[in-house]
Amino acid sequence: MDRDTIEHIVIPTGQVLVAVAIVPLIIAYLQLVERKVLGFMQVRLAPRRVGWHGLLQPIADALKLLIKEDTTPAMADRALFTMAPIITVIPALAALAVIPIAGQPFELFGYTINPWISDINVALLFLLAISSLGIYGIIVAGWASNSKYSMLGALRSSAQMISYEVPLGFALIGVMMLAGSASMVKIVEAQKSAGWWFVGPQLLGFFCYFISAVAETNRVPFDLPEAEAELVAGFHTEYSGMKFAFFFLAEYTNMIVVSSIVTILFFGGWLRPFPNIEALAWLENGWIFLVPLVAGASIGWLIDQRAGTGLRWMFAGGLAGAAAGAAIGVTDAFGLASAAIPALSGAFWFSLKVSFFLFMYIWFRGTYPRYRYDQLMGLGWKWLIPLSILNVVGTGLAVLLRA
Amino acid sequence: MTEMAKDGGARSGGRRAPDLRDLARQFLLLELWVGLWVTLKNQFRPHITVEYPKETVELSPRFRGVPRLRFHPETSEELCIACHLCETVCPDDCIHIVSEKKPDGKGKRLVSFEINYERCCFCGLCVDPCPTKPLTAIYMSHDYELADYQRTGFVAPLKHLLDGSDPTEYKE
Repeated sequence: MDRDTIEHIVIPTGQVLVAVAIVPLIIAYLQLVERKVLGFMQVRLAPRRVGWHGLLQPIADALKLLIKEDTTPAMADRALFTMAPIITVIPALAALAVIPIAGQPFELFGYTINPWISDINVALLFLLAISSLGIYGIIVAGWASNSKYSMLGALRSSAQMISYEVPLGFALIGVMMLAGSASMVKIVEAQKSAGWWFVGPQLLGFFCYFISAVAETNRVPFDLPEAEAELVAGFHTEYSGMKFAFFFLAEYTNMIVVSSIVTILFFGGWLRPFPNIEALAWLENGWIFLVPLVAGASIGWLIDQRAGTGLRWMFAGGLAGAAAGAAIGVTDAFGLASAAIPALSGAFWFSLKVSFFLFMYIWFRGTYPRYRYDQLMGLGWKWLIPLSILNVVGTGLAVLLRA
Repeated sequence: MTEMAKDGGARSGGRRAPDLRDLARQFLLLELWVGLWVTLKNQFRPHITVEYPKETVELSPRFRGVPRLRFHPETSEELCIACHLCETVCPDDCIHIVSEKKPDGKGKRLVSFEINYERCCFCGLCVDPCPTKPLTAIYMSHDYELADYQRTGFVAPLKHLLDGSDPTEYKE
């Protein structure tokens, strides 16, 4: 194979395979984190039986879904019924293609590898297009199941999509105007040269985008399409086994994609906090401090949970972790601090921010009751659409006046 | 309560101008932030779940589990004098006693004593009239794990009542 083939075919294929292999694993554990966090918010324990503190629970769940009987209702439209989960999951995974997880490319076996699969100049439009395709899967699933509950869920989903695609798109326009590009990499670089994250000038846009995105991913408090209290399980009532797992995979992939977009557009992607203050350059290696801090605090907290000792061990563990991190950072033990290549540092900040937004999703689920149908429509049409249009007009005027 | 009244008035009649503070509260989504703060705070409370088969809750001394019979603590004789008072007072009719006259003259002794746990409501009324002093012959034990594979396992014979019982073996 010559160099060209490897650079243009083998490496992208490898990246795609890595993304498609790793994301389901992340999702499996995201599900465990969700169950754990919800449990803790409700002052209970959450999964604990499979593995230490339930750490093997996602594996058990996945195995169960794999070997479960895959039933199709007698009166269902068989072809569409099988197609629906595929239509849902493919756009969700395809959206990952334009997400850059770090800024600088890195070298591997003499080849330069970009930390993104592709950097197209219409990335935002691509994301909008592909994310609205995923809704077709839900509508098809509701129709093909030939069940009242599924049908109602699908109808709600289509109405919700029509209402919330509009503010979703408008909220992105402000960022595009500020950055002057729709490419994800260019948008982050524009934030670096502007010296601040776009959440500052685009606070309203961020607000509109995040709320619409929660609605687009059908998560609490906008989970009307599956509303388990009203519609059994909504559009996936009739699904079981791997087909159900596909819907599940798609929902959580969409959550990750949306959190990544929020991070990239409004929170500087792989940039550290305050990207242009030189005095804070040590934050580039923030993972040396933050990872041991968080790990120590979490282990301390688990001990507290068992022993009922308040938060004593959590603070102790956090302090010990931070101290160990500081020691490593200052003395450069094991060459760890200098080994922090830019790609790693970028990936750290990116995943930290994405994790925060994923936590927000779970936090919302633990806090808010579901919107009523008319309230959902009212919020979309009467608040988010006017606010996002206001944001577009305001940003446009500001850009015009400064030019 | 006053908040609700104010809100309701503003929405239904529209007679009074909407309070500026209420508007600001609605616009800044104050209630939503309060809710998020509550769930965040509760994450750091120690859990209150008891992992039952591994750990159990502490029972109060007056807890009423399954009724049992008692040996004399020193002489290890049965305390029951077969007076049938518990059988008489039982509201569920779940105690069944067969007794005979003692061969050596005064008093009666037990031939069989059965309690049907399927019917027992754990009211403890059988303990109240028990005449043996200072310890009652029948008492409410602290056993509460009553699951069994067969219905016959719920009718406890005298031996089980005195020594405690194990669930019957599982059979298809």
